[in-house]
Amino acid sequence: MPILRARARPTGAAEKGGALTLASRRARNNGSQSGRRLCVAFLTVTSVPALGQASALDPAGAEASSIATLFWAMVVGGALLWLFVVSLMLYGIRRRRRVHDEWTAGRLIFWAGAVFPVVTLFLLLGYALWLMPQLRPWAPAQAAATLRIEVEGRQFWWRAVYHRPGDQPVVTANEIRLPVGERVEFTLTSSDVIHSFWIPPLGGKMDMIPGRTNRLSILATKPGTFRGPCAEFCGASHALMAFSAISMEPEAFRSWLAAEAGPARPQPSDGARLFVENGCGACHTIRGTAASGEVGPDLTHVGSRLMIGAGTLPNTEEAIARFIAEPDVVKPGSTMPPFRMLPETEIRAMAAYLKALQ
Amino acid sequence: MIVGNDFSLRERRAQEKRLRAVWANPSGWRYWTSVNNFQVGLWYASAAFAFMLFAGLLALIMRAQLAVPENDLISAGFYNQAFTLHGTVMMFLFAVPIFEAVAIFLLPPMLGARELPFPRLGAFGFWSFFLGGVFVCGSILFDSAPTSGWFMYPPLATKEPGYGADIWLLGLSFIEVASIAAAVEIIVGIMKCRAPGMRINLMPLFAWYLLVVAGMILFAFPPLIAGDILFEMERMFDWPFFDASRGGDPILWQHLFWIFGHPEVYIIFLPAIALMAMIVPTFAQRPIVGYPWIVLAAVGTGFISFGLWVHHMFATGLPQISLAFFSAASEAVAIPTGVQIFVFIATMLAGRVIFSVPMLFGIGGIAVFVIGGLTGVMVALAPFDWQAHDSYFIVAHLHYVLIGGMLFPIVAGIYYYYPLIDSKRLSNRLGKIAFWLMFAGFNVAFFPMHLTGLRGMPRRVFTYPAGIGWDWLNLVSTIGAYVFAASVLVVVYDVLRPKHRQPGGEINPWNAGTLEWISEPEENWGVRSIPIVESRYPLWDQKDLVRRINEGDFYLPDAEEGKREGLVTSVLDARPLQVLRVGGTSYVTIVSAASLGMVFVALTFHWWWTALVFGVAAFASILYWLWTGTSEIPEKPQKDVGLGLTLPIYASGPNSVGWWAMFITMVGDGTAFASLVFGYFFYWTIHGDFTGGLAGPGAFWPLLSLAFFAAAWGATVAARALNQGNRTDLARASLAAGCILTIAGSLAAFLGPWSHTMEPTAHVYAAIVWILVIWLLCHAAVGAVMQLYCLARSFAGRMTAEYDGDIRNVELYWHFLVLTAVVTLLVIGLFPKVL
Amino acid sequence: MSLIPRQIETFWTLFTAPVVWAVHFLVCYVGAAIYCAKQHELGFGFGVVRIGIGAATFAALAIILLAAWLSWRQWGFGAYAPPHDEPTRLDRNLLQGFSTLLLSGLSFVAVIYVAMPALFVTECLR
Repeated sequence: MPILRARARPTGAAEKGGALTLASRRARNNGSQSGRRLCVAFLTVTSVPALGQASALDPAGAEASSIATLFWAMVVGGALLWLFVVSLMLYGIRRRRRVHDEWTAGRLIFWAGAVFPVVTLFLLLGYALWLMPQLRPWAPAQAAATLRIEVEGRQFWWRAVYHRPGDQPVVTANEIRLPVGERVEFTLTSSDVIHSFWIPPLGGKMDMIPGRTNRLSILATKPGTFRGPCAEFCGASHALMAFSAISMEPEAFRSWLAAEAGPARPQPSDGARLFVENGCGACHTIRGTAASGEVGPDLTHVGSRLMIGAGTLPNTEEAIARFIAEPDVVKPGSTMPPFRMLPETEIRAMAAYLKALQ
Repeated sequence: MIVGNDFSLRERRAQEKRLRAVWANPSGWRYWTSVNNFQVGLWYASAAFAFMLFAGLLALIMRAQLAVPENDLISAGFYNQAFTLHGTVMMFLFAVPIFEAVAIFLLPPMLGARELPFPRLGAFGFWSFFLGGVFVCGSILFDSAPTSGWFMYPPLATKEPGYGADIWLLGLSFIEVASIAAAVEIIVGIMKCRAPGMRINLMPLFAWYLLVVAGMILFAFPPLIAGDILFEMERMFDWPFFDASRGGDPILWQHLFWIFGHPEVYIIFLPAIALMAMIVPTFAQRPIVGYPWIVLAAVGTGFISFGLWVHHMFATGLPQISLAFFSAASEAVAIPTGVQIFVFIATMLAGRVIFSVPMLFGIGGIAVFVIGGLTGVMVALAPFDWQAHDSYFIVAHLHYVLIGGMLFPIVAGIYYYYPLIDSKRLSNRLGKIAFWLMFAGFNVAFFPMHLTGLRGMPRRVFTYPAGIGWDWLNLVSTIGAYVFAASVLVVVYDVLRPKHRQPGGEINPWNAGTLEWISEPEENWGVRSIPIVESRYPLWDQKDLVRRINEGDFYLPDAEEGKREGLVTSVLDARPLQVLRVGGTSYVTIVSAASLGMVFVALTFHWWWTALVFGVAAFASILYWLWTGTSEIPEKPQKDVGLGLTLPIYASGPNSVGWWAMFITMVGDGTAFASLVFGYFFYWTIHGDFTGGLAGPGAFWPLLSLAFFAAAWGATVAARALNQGNRTDLARASLAAGCILTIAGSLAAFLGPWSHTMEPTAHVYAAIVWILVIWLLCHAAVGAVMQLYCLARSFAGRMTAEYDGDIRNVELYWHFLVLTAVVTLLVIGLFPKVL
Repeated sequence: MSLIPRQIETFWTLFTAPVVWAVHFLVCYVGAAIYCAKQHELGFGFGVVRIGIGAATFAALAIILLAAWLSWRQWGFGAYAPPHDEPTRLDRNLLQGFSTLLLSGLSFVAVIYVAMPALFVTECLR
């Protein structure tokens, strides 16, 4: 039972490409033949995956931008305070200086140690308490929201359902799209362990807890593509549980949602047949086909998503093929069984079929 | 003016010989049965350091894994074990125990005492800690360490396959018991065993801090023990405390864990600052400025730190008003912390600072800690925490706080106090090298993490994708981590390198003012005679003190009866009250700790029979320990302690240290019980109908049980009074009756849920009722054993009207027990009816 | 003031004000938490909770002020300057008094901090 595995030696070709993805590196340690063949094919993928922008310091949402401003203000204040304390200490250890009397020193404790923090913290706390209901105005948000997105965390992916008044809910997975300039209400749940929903450039996080329903209200102010990671440790592949969040102009959003609501329009193909024959439909839904499983992510329009495997791999045929062959390697601890026993051609055919589900 | 004892040189030599013989360590392998505070303190500290190096190694492996994106140096499974153990070991096996170690080592000499009041308890605590620690750490070598994080959130951790989570829960429960033992020892030691004259306004600041910390342990650890019980019941027997589908709630664990977890940060921080409070005056060459401000800071922090726990749960979706309360308290706690720092600065400014390695680490530590404190003020604001929570920003914040506020001061303390271990100093040059490596390495490793976190990198990820702005930051952090590790190695080398060429024999090399500096490493007795203290810095202010102490000029300069003796003094003014005889070298500590440890190990692997066998062994050895080593009737009622003072040798009730220990233990016990009751009401708040439609235990059996318990309590109290009034036969009868009533009460309590067939696996309501009843039954069993124990002591002539320490302590226990019974039975019996 | 003994010879008065803070904190937190969990069964609005917090705060501040006055008295109304490090009963008392006074100050501020949320937060929703 080797605890430390040998470090993979990167191949020159891949290094030149620069953008090795997670899975490709791990794949090189995999002994199985089909895995090796697949990853050789996969190494040719060199484009930077569409991970999206991940920083809370480049805000594109109302909450994130208020918090970023607050942060920078506190950084400046904190830096000044730190310099003050450290220079006092450096002065204190100087050999040649006046020895101050005890009374003066006591005054320093009183003013700098007690009064100053009391006043500063009072103001800071007051500002933050004033800010809290502004950032997450629950009651008005609930009344005004025309779009509610229900997101359920699962080990290790996200199920999303879009609810609009008067319309059928739209089910999708691992990608959240929302309109710019409109407050969106999120309903956050979990069906296994605790996860946490976080889109740093848009706002703060909220946990998804089994047995509880949490809410989050987000107002995107700029269009963009963002990376939303799971922020609460949720098991072996916690690091590989992310989603893409895309804020879009309202018009574009509405037409996307309309398309997303429709069923898949698959071409009859070997891939479609194999997908059914191998029992994939027991876990995955592809609306418009016989596949209607609820265990895994909905794949109705999987081909149009930016990433697959919940933010793990770029959405290419090669990557999909790899995921089908060895989900246990790509995502340790995931519930999907590996299909590396199938001939590569069949896996490729299914991958092509899925990629075509736009 | 104090008049001395005036012994001749020959008398003095004879006294020293007797003292030396009484306090001597056993030799050979029996050395390990020593209970002397210097030995136990050193073992404690060495073990804690060894665990720290182990956890540090895990951190280095993790940093290597994160050096580059998409690395596959280690597997996800191993990474998760590593970070879980890193946090667990650093917190439970290093940060808290190291303070217990330093306290056990330093407190007696600092207070001018010979020993802490319960040396065997201290040794028992050490062995429990050591065995528990080896058990927890060893798990990773068998690839079966816990993988759910040091916070063990259910349902991830309750569902974790294998034994990892059980090892965590049971191993750490065992260690928590050791911490509570240390807290009892420290509180009683500081309150009751100070040298005569050391009024509370003259107490060394270290003692003030430690008193507060020990009190915090008493209220912080029990909720976690309560949580551990619920958790282990869910894992072992499927009781659904945290299973939402059967009425449980994962959030309850988070409450219980963080009610422990946040005060713990201050339990770690305050003792380290206490070391600073000893170091700074020495090198500023003047008394501390603002002694009362330190009292404010220590006590204030101790209290407010209990109002912060939800700031670890800002993202769990609690109502905003709840978050806001905790935000407010989290800001308030920064005030006493600020005071603390400025007390040190003021002392430096009002003195002439001699620059030295301990000061270097001290000042560097403050510089680092202040950054952690400032980011702490930031994350205490709920809105900012919504972004920072569970990101690398928090990793940076907590390491700035813990390493700046704890590791740097500890290293300062090592350089400062090392001469107490072998009368030699550590190397100045190596110390400076270590400091600069540590300071630079630390900042290079952890400063970038602030940015990494705000750029969206969550904690506890075993890998991360390239190209989203985290790559070079992580690489820099990894380089810094290795530089930091190098600095720790330098310190370890400096401590371990052979120093026989170095001139030794320096007593008080820094010219410090407090009493611990008179103790000589080669003597085990602590102080040659127990001095009368008249200053905060007796070695500076009391002329000739050292000589007079060493010439036996003060109290207890001799050990005529061949017993280990110290003084008990009053709480406020330290007036001498009693001669306290403490336990000496004994196997019983190791045997009890080892058998108790085996119970926990056996439970982990569900070896029920083994657990039972070792449970009986632990029970027997503890009884033997109590029977032979506590509340012994002295050969004479009082003795001359020197300086014309005669003091009693025996005390019972509130005058005795044993009664205090019982009181303090029961406060901790009551806190754990309160946490379980909190659980009961917590379930009531989250559900519309919290009984889940199940029948409760009814009112009849609980109320009947209550009547029995009240009667048993009355019988115990009566037995104490009768015994005191010399009516021994009646007292014995009353004890026997009390025991029968206890059994009757227990049966009735059991029949409540039993007769209503409450199935604990079906719904959390049944489970929480059962757990309260089981808690009561366990305590009733102990109460009955105590009644029988007193009965036996009375028959054996070891408990009389005058020497009634046993029954006084048992009576005190029963006060708490009857309170437990009243609350339990009223809550389970009547609360559902009230609704 | 005959109810309060002139000399308080105990260690525990030191903790009066922080204990008041702790009780106030728990009352506010537990009260609001129970209200928010059970608001549909309770017949009153969040405003009542805020008023309750206000009342608890006034009570807490009043007790702390009393503790502060007592400790000020124990400190000899400031007639003696620190450091109170003489080996006398007087100095021991003065230190107790001064430390208690400082703790009362801290508790006073902390109670105000903890009450501030009631000014800004107006609903239970999460």
